[in-house]
Amino acid sequence: MTRMKTDLSIEWRGTLPYDEALELQMKCVEARRSGAGPDRLLLLEHPAVITLGRSAKPGNLRVSREVLRSRGIAVFEVSRGGDVTYHAPGQLVGYPILDLAALGEADVHRYLRRIEACLVEALAHLGVAARTREGFTGVFASPWDGESAARPRKLASIGVGVRGWVTYHGFALNVDLDLAGFETIVPCGLHDVEMTSLARELGAAAPPDLAVRARMAVADAFRREWA
Amino acid sequence: MPREIKMPKLSDTMEEGTLNVWRKSEGDPIAKGDILVEIETDKADMEFEAYVAGHLAKILVQAGETVSIGTPIAVVRLRKDTDEDLARFLESRGATPAVAPAASPAAAPEVREAPAPVPAAPAPAPVPAATGSAALPMRMSELPYFVADPDRVRSTPRARAIARDHNVDLSEIAGSGPDGAVLVADVAAYLEALEASTETLQEGDVLATPVAARIADERGLDLSQVKSSGPGGRVTKRDIQRYLEQQAKGVPAREARLYSGEIALSQKRKFLIRNMVESKQSAPHFYISREMDAEPLSAFRTQMKQRGVRVTYTHMILKAAALALSRHPQVNATFQDGRILVYQPINIALAVDVDDELLAPVVKDCAGRSLENLAAASDELIQKARDKKLAPGDYADGTFTISNLGMLGVDRFYAILTPPQSMVLSVGGMRTLPVVDAKGEIRAGRRMDFGLACDHRVVDGARAARFLAELIRVLEEPEQLVAGDDANED
Repeated sequence: MTRMKTDLSIEWRGTLPYDEALELQMKCVEARRSGAGPDRLLLLEHPAVITLGRSAKPGNLRVSREVLRSRGIAVFEVSRGGDVTYHAPGQLVGYPILDLAALGEADVHRYLRRIEACLVEALAHLGVAARTREGFTGVFASPWDGESAARPRKLASIGVGVRGWVTYHGFALNVDLDLAGFETIVPCGLHDVEMTSLARELGAAAPPDLAVRARMAVADAFRREWA
Repeated sequence: MPREIKMPKLSDTMEEGTLNVWRKSEGDPIAKGDILVEIETDKADMEFEAYVAGHLAKILVQAGETVSIGTPIAVVRLRKDTDEDLARFLESRGATPAVAPAASPAAAPEVREAPAPVPAAPAPAPVPAATGSAALPMRMSELPYFVADPDRVRSTPRARAIARDHNVDLSEIAGSGPDGAVLVADVAAYLEALEASTETLQEGDVLATPVAARIADERGLDLSQVKSSGPGGRVTKRDIQRYLEQQAKGVPAREARLYSGEIALSQKRKFLIRNMVESKQSAPHFYISREMDAEPLSAFRTQMKQRGVRVTYTHMILKAAALALSRHPQVNATFQDGRILVYQPINIALAVDVDDELLAPVVKDCAGRSLENLAAASDELIQKARDKKLAPGDYADGTFTISNLGMLGVDRFYAILTPPQSMVLSVGGMRTLPVVDAKGEIRAGRRMDFGLACDHRVVDGARAARFLAELIRVLEEPEQLVAGDDANED
């Protein structure tokens, strides 16, 4: 397979509120489209927030918006595919701004598969065996021997947007966060899925600087894939 | 001429898309690059931009609907178009102009055939007998039933005597005496309430005490089947208990409460049931599986596409199975009448799920046919299966079966053999997972599992293993799928 490479700019943006990050993405998308900006991977974290994709079903929010607000969790409706997602500190969020047409791969499904591959690879380097499931976008922890596959453990959620073949939105990898936050939603509208995190999968083996390592591993994987 | 806007193809594997939000309304002016509509497929959302300028004349597919790629979703009127142009254009496409807001529903472009209605399940069998239970304002219906043994209910001797005289089932009464003992007053109140409930009875109602009626109702029992022994010929709780005990001993328990309905067996289903039972009873199955590196196959598919040849994984696995079977003819065999008979043709059945029904049309004489040829033949059969137009001959004479549950998220499984065949290949889903490459580096790889069920009367483990290895070798070196095609073609 011929893969075109790009000068991918990988940028750590720290903690950004959801709406500010969205604005930043849109600026980067416009810059990319006009040719003024590069292909980028924006890496950041969000303060606690719930986002509803275009196909979100109202029932997949388990708690009323008032209750969420009182807990300091913002709610946004956004123009990305997919259902409902929860973000919070301790989760690595990545927004690739890539011109898929210029990369010779104007194919959103293949793009989703490539993001998955990057995350699987990054996770492997961090010591966690992860995998994809056909028909379910996202990255899951590989079941251990004898574990029932009935309730897959999800490590990363993916939902992308495309404007003129330039991508925005992206992925959210649970590194080390309080998973109880996910209980306010039905993640991605999938009832049989349990959310997990890198820290939980690693257990005692988790290094103290896991967040930084995760960031580096993801950046490396994207660099190998696209840069 | 006005222009039609069609559902775009956002991916090679995309078959349909959902219109999420129309950003423009009918009549709105449109400039090139304006976002017209948001389209979603899988986990991706695309803002679809206008590539012509003009006015949005007509929305053909409303937000929230899902249509296949290429389906017209809107009509754009270019600046130079006249009203007549537009009217003629819309008419030619069976749509009405948007000008008249007369609630004319947007003409549905390419109406997708509604799935054939599933035969309605017959109504849940026995309808509970109507009774006058509602009229009884008594706590006794709150009694836990079948807890107390009617012969061991605490009661005063006089209350017992009165109950016996009136055929009252004491376990139906909540006693007001010490330790819940039933007193004379309780029996009297019970009988009075029963009497009052009779007034609401209608002709044809089966007489029953309120407790019995409630139990019957909850379990879906037909009270007319229960022999009564209660006051005034009413069915009591004790009667139901006795009835259920008899049922449990005798004829199959008709615990209607367990079942909500029955699904009628189609002829195909009956045939399948017979076949599967016979298979498991007569053919000693054994199972092997193997993992495949799916990267070469995935790359090969992309290459083919670049050459303008559309092949699916099903096509490629079909071709690989045909090749492996022709290289291992002894496994393309069957056990019949105490003999192993080797098949002449390679006929491969493809299991297809159509509206929850399992169909397995057979691609005949696969040996020596090219990938493209097999692809066309299998597509035609699968389409026929979806259209419910398979002829009996299309199912006949399979010598090998391929079943695929990968798209449903299944990693690995083993299908049951279809007699008289002696092998069935079960294809799992493709997945990305970490692998160690030749350089010892960890990276993301693509893998896929194949399960093979075999009839041990015909095939031994080692032979089956060699066959499966061959099949996977072909798929891992996919050039073999087209090698020699030029020679075989025409």
